[in-house]
Amino acid sequence: MAGDHKDTAFAREPTRDSDGSRPRVRIQDAVKSFAGRVVVDVDDLTLGTHPIEGLIGPNGAGKTTLLRMIMHSISLDRGTVTLSSDGDGSEVVLSDLPAHRMARHGVVKTNQVITDFEKLTILDSLLLSVAKATDEWPYRIYREQGLYEDTVEGILWYLDRFEFEDPLGFAKSAGEKKLLDIIRCLLLKPRVLLLDEPTAGLPDDIRDQLMGLIDEKAAEENMAVVIVEHDLHVIWTMSDYVHFMAEGRVLLQGEPRSIREHDTVIEKYLGSGHV
Amino acid sequence: MNLDWLDAFLVSGLFYVMMVIGLALLLHLQLGLARIANFGVVGFWGIGMYAFGVLFVKVDWPFGEVWAFLISVVFGTVVAGLAGLLVGWLIADLDIDGVLVGTLGFATAVWILATTEQDLTGGALGMGGLGFPYDIGSVKANETLWLVILTILVAIILYYVSRVHKSPYGRLLISIGDNEPLARSLGKAPFQTKLWLFAVSSAGMGLLGAMYGVNERFLETGNLGIDITLAAMVGLVLGSTTRMWGAAVGVALTVGLFDVVIQFYLPLPREWYTQAIPVLREMVFGGVLIIVLLFRPYGVLGDMRRDKLMRRMHGG
Ligand SMILES: Nc1ncnc2c1ncn2[C@@H]1O[C@H](COP(=O)(O)OP(=O)(O)OP(=O)(O)O)[C@@H](O)[C@H]1O
Ligand SMILES: [Mg+2]
Repeated sequence: MAGDHKDTAFAREPTRDSDGSRPRVRIQDAVKSFAGRVVVDVDDLTLGTHPIEGLIGPNGAGKTTLLRMIMHSISLDRGTVTLSSDGDGSEVVLSDLPAHRMARHGVVKTNQVITDFEKLTILDSLLLSVAKATDEWPYRIYREQGLYEDTVEGILWYLDRFEFEDPLGFAKSAGEKKLLDIIRCLLLKPRVLLLDEPTAGLPDDIRDQLMGLIDEKAAEENMAVVIVEHDLHVIWTMSDYVHFMAEGRVLLQGEPRSIREHDTVIEKYLGSGHV
Repeated sequence: MNLDWLDAFLVSGLFYVMMVIGLALLLHLQLGLARIANFGVVGFWGIGMYAFGVLFVKVDWPFGEVWAFLISVVFGTVVAGLAGLLVGWLIADLDIDGVLVGTLGFATAVWILATTEQDLTGGALGMGGLGFPYDIGSVKANETLWLVILTILVAIILYYVSRVHKSPYGRLLISIGDNEPLARSLGKAPFQTKLWLFAVSSAGMGLLGAMYGVNERFLETGNLGIDITLAAMVGLVLGSTTRMWGAAVGVALTVGLFDVVIQFYLPLPREWYTQAIPVLREMVFGGVLIIVLLFRPYGVLGDMRRDKLMRRMHGG
């Protein structure tokens, strides 16, 4: 487990067990191809049996595509994605739902490439994230102040911890935009949080702080976290379980230690430098 | 009331300017915030005008004129809103080309309907029988009062738009226009949002159409060409698509300058008005638009400033 990296700022105790009430995402017989080339072909994969899971693999392995299939922000050629939680015994077929319904079911993804609203300020973005559909009806033209008062505490909680140069203005740097993207997602109070290369472009101290926070949330709020990362240091220290993907398929699964020592992984992906 | 100082032409010129400002404001919600280029403004405007006119003129109303009038106005507004719902449903998932074709096609359909349904609309001959719901004396007095009422309506639209900018709804519209997939991933429903946006703004356009019909007292299919759409669109783009005052400033600078100031105050030879001016007008509009877009791509007033707005609302 992750215990052998306690030296890092966001390492944690490796004592947490899998928890039945954590929501799980199951991907079955799911295929996606672009221009006739199969990019993802997953037989049966369950994410979320462990609090924090890593999803690794070489460039072009299909990691981002797989996450986007879960979010249904791209269509599936075939297959199903189901969200289930033992806690309340509910089961939702995500692949039958439009993309905008995912957030309501608590399934949320951050973006690998910088993604932001050009015309919205940081505060705008955060208020957008916390606003409910009922706040946003065309006739609710006096709702802003109430929304602000109802939600400002939760927003400030993040703004106090993560400093932006000008929260009332626009996100300035790539780092700010990346961070904003993640905080927008956290404000949605996800049950399943998919992080697509969350640390790329973040300064080290903010990365550590953010990962520490996510780690906390995974433990305390029963959130299932899936991290896609090329920074394997993050993967080895944070995840309880790792899926290794190459050429659209999940080739290996296991605890971080066993994955990092696996010949296939080393050969296909890591090279000796990474381990 | 003595209105001798007031020229009848000025009143009708101002009515037209005010109406186009109203249309441009509603278009601003669609184009400036949600980034949907509605090229069928005249269709919603026209359907409101005709739905109102036909109901008012063709029905044998058992009760007073004023009630018949009000019911017909509401009817015109609602029909335009329903048309907006329908068109919104058709175009919500389309790209820019699709929206262009869909909205233009809708406007054309309204024109064809108005032309071919002669029994109802009088077709190309037009339809009379409309009038003000009051009579306070001279024609000019009645028209002036109607202009005042229109001005109040446009002021209300302006107020609504300003509140939208300051509300979660406005933020939602901007987010969908700005980055629809991202908005979707945050749980926003673009389809439903666009549907309601079109219903509400089209209803407003229809109401303006009905009011125009009353002012003219005569419905003509000739009104259903591209002019109205272009006037609203050019004015808005010139002023600033993304800022509320862009609609007012832009329309004042284009339609206002041409249809009121130049035509009314410049002592030009009479025959110019029928021949040269309409052509000149389109040329100048086009030229000004190109120049403005080259040097100020966001229009005279520039782009919206959410940072300033946020500071004003939540900065304290
Ligand atoms: N929209 C698209 N159209 C065409 N090809 C695509 C599209 N999206 C992804 N691909 C291709 O699918 C393959 C998998 O891409 P994907 O982004 O899922 O990989 P990844 O594992 O996330 O890689 P990376 O680690 O570089 O982010 C790549 O070869 C990519 O070029
Ligand atoms: Mg990727």
